[in-house]
Amino acid sequence: MIRIDHLTMKFGKFTAAADISLSLARGESLALWGSNGAGKTTIIRCVLGLLSFQGTIRVGGRDVARDGKRARSLIGYVPQELAFYDDLRVWEAITLFARLKNVARVDLDATLDHVGIPDQGGKRIRELSGGMKQRLALAIALLGDPPLLVLDEVTASLDVCGRAELVALLGRLSGQGRSLLFASHRADEVTSLAQRVLMLEKGKVTAEVPVSQFVARLGAGSVLHLHMPAPSRPVAIQLLRDHGFAPTLNGVGILVPVPATQKAVPLRLLAEARLSVDDFELLSPRDANLSQENHA
Amino acid sequence: MSAAAIPSCQIIEAHAPTLISNILTLAWRELRDALRARSFLLYSLAFLALGLGVSYVSAAGTGSLGLSGFGRTTAGLINIVLLVVPLMALTTGASAIASDRERGMLLFLLAQPVSRLEVVLGKFLGLSGALIACITLGLGACSLVLAWQGGATEPRTMLWLAGLSVLLALSMLSVGMLISALARKASVAVGTGVFLWLALVFVTDLGLMAGTLALRLPVKTLFLLTLSNPLQAFKMWALHSIDASIDVLGPAGLYAMDTYHDALPWMFGASMAAWIVLPLVAAALIFRTRSPV
Amino acid sequence: MNANRSNLAPRVAILAVSCLVGLCPTTASAQDSMQAPNEKSAGVHDSAGVEINAGTIGRLIKAAKPGDIVHVPAGVYREHIRIDKPLSLIAEGRVVIDGMSSGDIVEIAAPNVTLRGFVVRDTGIDLDKENAAIRVLADHTVIENNTLEDILFGIDLKQAPDAVVRGNFIGGKDLDIARRGDGLRLWRSDRVLIENNTIHDGRDAILWYSQNVTVRNNTSRRCRYGFHLMYSDDVVMENNELTHNSVGIYLMYSKVVTIRGNRLLANRGPSGYGIGLKEADQFSISDNLIAGNRAGIYLDGSPFTKLKPGDISRNTIACNDVGLTFLPSVKGNVIAANNFVDNIEQVCVSGRGELTGNDFAADERGNFWTDYAGYDANADGIGDFAHESVTLFENLLDREPKLRILLFSPAQQAIEFVGRAIPAIRPEPKFFDPSPLTRPVPVATNAGAAPSRLSLAICGLGLASIASLVYVSSRAFAHTTRRKGVVA
Repeated sequence: MIRIDHLTMKFGKFTAAADISLSLARGESLALWGSNGAGKTTIIRCVLGLLSFQGTIRVGGRDVARDGKRARSLIGYVPQELAFYDDLRVWEAITLFARLKNVARVDLDATLDHVGIPDQGGKRIRELSGGMKQRLALAIALLGDPPLLVLDEVTASLDVCGRAELVALLGRLSGQGRSLLFASHRADEVTSLAQRVLMLEKGKVTAEVPVSQFVARLGAGSVLHLHMPAPSRPVAIQLLRDHGFAPTLNGVGILVPVPATQKAVPLRLLAEARLSVDDFELLSPRDANLSQENHA
Repeated sequence: MSAAAIPSCQIIEAHAPTLISNILTLAWRELRDALRARSFLLYSLAFLALGLGVSYVSAAGTGSLGLSGFGRTTAGLINIVLLVVPLMALTTGASAIASDRERGMLLFLLAQPVSRLEVVLGKFLGLSGALIACITLGLGACSLVLAWQGGATEPRTMLWLAGLSVLLALSMLSVGMLISALARKASVAVGTGVFLWLALVFVTDLGLMAGTLALRLPVKTLFLLTLSNPLQAFKMWALHSIDASIDVLGPAGLYAMDTYHDALPWMFGASMAAWIVLPLVAAALIFRTRSPV
Repeated sequence: MNANRSNLAPRVAILAVSCLVGLCPTTASAQDSMQAPNEKSAGVHDSAGVEINAGTIGRLIKAAKPGDIVHVPAGVYREHIRIDKPLSLIAEGRVVIDGMSSGDIVEIAAPNVTLRGFVVRDTGIDLDKENAAIRVLADHTVIENNTLEDILFGIDLKQAPDAVVRGNFIGGKDLDIARRGDGLRLWRSDRVLIENNTIHDGRDAILWYSQNVTVRNNTSRRCRYGFHLMYSDDVVMENNELTHNSVGIYLMYSKVVTIRGNRLLANRGPSGYGIGLKEADQFSISDNLIAGNRAGIYLDGSPFTKLKPGDISRNTIACNDVGLTFLPSVKGNVIAANNFVDNIEQVCVSGRGELTGNDFAADERGNFWTDYAGYDANADGIGDFAHESVTLFENLLDREPKLRILLFSPAQQAIEFVGRAIPAIRPEPKFFDPSPLTRPVPVATNAGAAPSRLSLAICGLGLASIASLVYVSSRAFAHTTRRKGVVA
């Protein structure tokens, strides 16, 4: 679906992406993982043909640089935050993009239902909440049922609740034979949506791994030692595994390797699942090993 | 359009995304926004008010004498057009691309299956529509006031004036869009637009005046310099269309009449066409290479 | 001439001419019949367009006795004629005298000649020899109702006093203005009456050294000078219509001239005027409509003496590029009760200077100015403030006429604004009307119909409907793409 060969993109002296190659098969889902400034957004904008770059990018076999319009007709794009003429009404925005995307017929109500904002067709875009705007952006991206969805930190400006709902919605959508390319710096999103992860740092690829190895690769961070009642531990371990972590049991609790930026995520996940955590401590990997050995 | 106006019919049909259909779609959105923008409304009202003022005041003078021909009314209307239309078109054009870029809308738009040429042309077309509406409304209302006052203006004059004003508006819109493609910030773009307006309306003419007085510019140079200013090309074309002559413009006008004869309207047209096409082409070329953020 | 005779005479004439041409080599018998207009004759076919051999009219003249009335039958005569005895030469029907592009055509060398109803066409084009359609070299001539076509000079009166030139239609050759001749010329011909003539596409209608001439109800268009007076005094010019000439009326070195009730429109030569005066004296210009000219009235050294102030009154001077143009030294005019209506520049002092030597009011009544900015509180028809023209831009224009190309620009307003705002660069008032009128003076000269208000209103509605069309289309565009269909 996407094939990037030797993409290099510079803003003046600053290299935003350095010799990046990747490919994404039909129906596959790839995460661009990295902190801010790692080059995720740059790659996405290059894929959309919005920036001029060195190397080649093909989407569905179409060269983005030369045939951008046709390449983009295969892509549904959702930005971090929908910035669009907010004086437009929702139905007008849908009409506008349906026309631009050559969509012959759109069932307005079904479209809005699909992304979970029914009955909002008459509102102006500026009257929508952040979550609704992102859903509208998603609805627009889905017009014409494009084979590839490109998402750029779509949950970044949402609150916890909105984020979870949107991720769930995206999870449902990605299962329908669509390819998915998305940028995120949240491990839970990556683990719940991606099959493969491209890990980026300062514009360079540091690793390309299947999602199963993703959390382990993050281990360079630290280890969260959770103290919780024994009965809930197996459930907790299953839950954390589901979200891409690699928890292990020890005598008094659970050890979870966490990346540097995600140290509280397991706590949140457990809290949301109403599993009580009595106490926690943060260990360096070495200390964690010691503690493991002690218990052994 | 209220929420109630949302149709019970939920099916939206669209056409193939050819160049033309995309341009029309984008133009529609641009037009829709422009007609609702507060600044545009203000410009329209200003144009209308000034035009009506001129029509009302000057019709009172000649109407009673039954004289027709080139009078104060036409001169006044030309003046209003020269003042208001370029300002309106330049600032509109200047904010067209830059403000979208600044607000991040351009990014989202260009991420859709549209080409940049379509975006430029769509914006140009939509804003042209808005400017045309403003001009025809203004001059149409002036015609009605003149008719009511029994003014001595021929319909032909008003039609010419309206048509040429539209050309003037297009040329200034085109220049405005070039500024917009170049500028990073909308405020800078609009500021540049206003500055250019001042330059075209006042500074170049005052410069020509000073040049003529100080350097004793020959009539040919003076005429060609004047012709190169789209505002003056508009003015001379308007006079020529009303009077079939620009000898009212003194020695330089007479020189032009004697030298170029029937080619004159073509020269005016060429000057204005160049001012419409060249900046727009430049805007499109620059826009193609510029980052949308 | 009664109707009966004019019906009968052509047939008689045709018969006679047939005899002349076809049957009898001598003219004697024909002459008799020609000179007996009441003689009855058998009907002859209408023969307009019959061409008759050269010399026919000449022979008629030769055969006529002084005082005779010679009726010339219809037809085209290719010949040049000299009338050397007092005769009335009357055309019966359409009589064309064709000069075949050479020389003069009709020369009147005897007094008391009448030439009536002819078509005289196609003179030579020799400017040096002044090829003329009709040249008059004697007094008491009447030249009436002739049509002169394709001629270099039209009617040329040389020392031909007491002539009447009436109802002629004079059209010049289609030549460059420098190669044309004068449609009408008087040379030392006093007491001539020129009326109801139409002159077009000639050079000038000019009066040289001719006194006591009356010029009235004539029309002139597309000539160089509509009427030009050189050293011609005691002339009255009334009710003429002079349009699209370079100059309407030009008085040079002439005095005691009255110009009254004329219509001078669109005389726009490179230095075109409605009325131009150069060193004219004791003139009166009143009740004229002077509109759309390059300059309405141009004054150079006039009045020439202090005998009588120049009188310019009750004229409507409208929509000219400049209403009144003065050369700097002009003084001694009284300009009162005129309407100065929407001239682009109302009054101009060419070069620089002031008009203090001229009065813009008489008996405490000034002129009507459409640019008067004052008011009339006591409603006596006279503005409460004097009208004075202080405009910096006009001042610049007077200094450098080339700057007119910037007329109607906002830059013009900017200059005016600066001129008003900064006293230091404010020019001296050009002139001063102490008692401007607040209502136009009724001037008898008919101004012509204003364009239809209805069509203007329709035009306005049409323009406004374009605007609403744009607006409606902007709202309809999205809606047109919807259609009733599935409801979710």
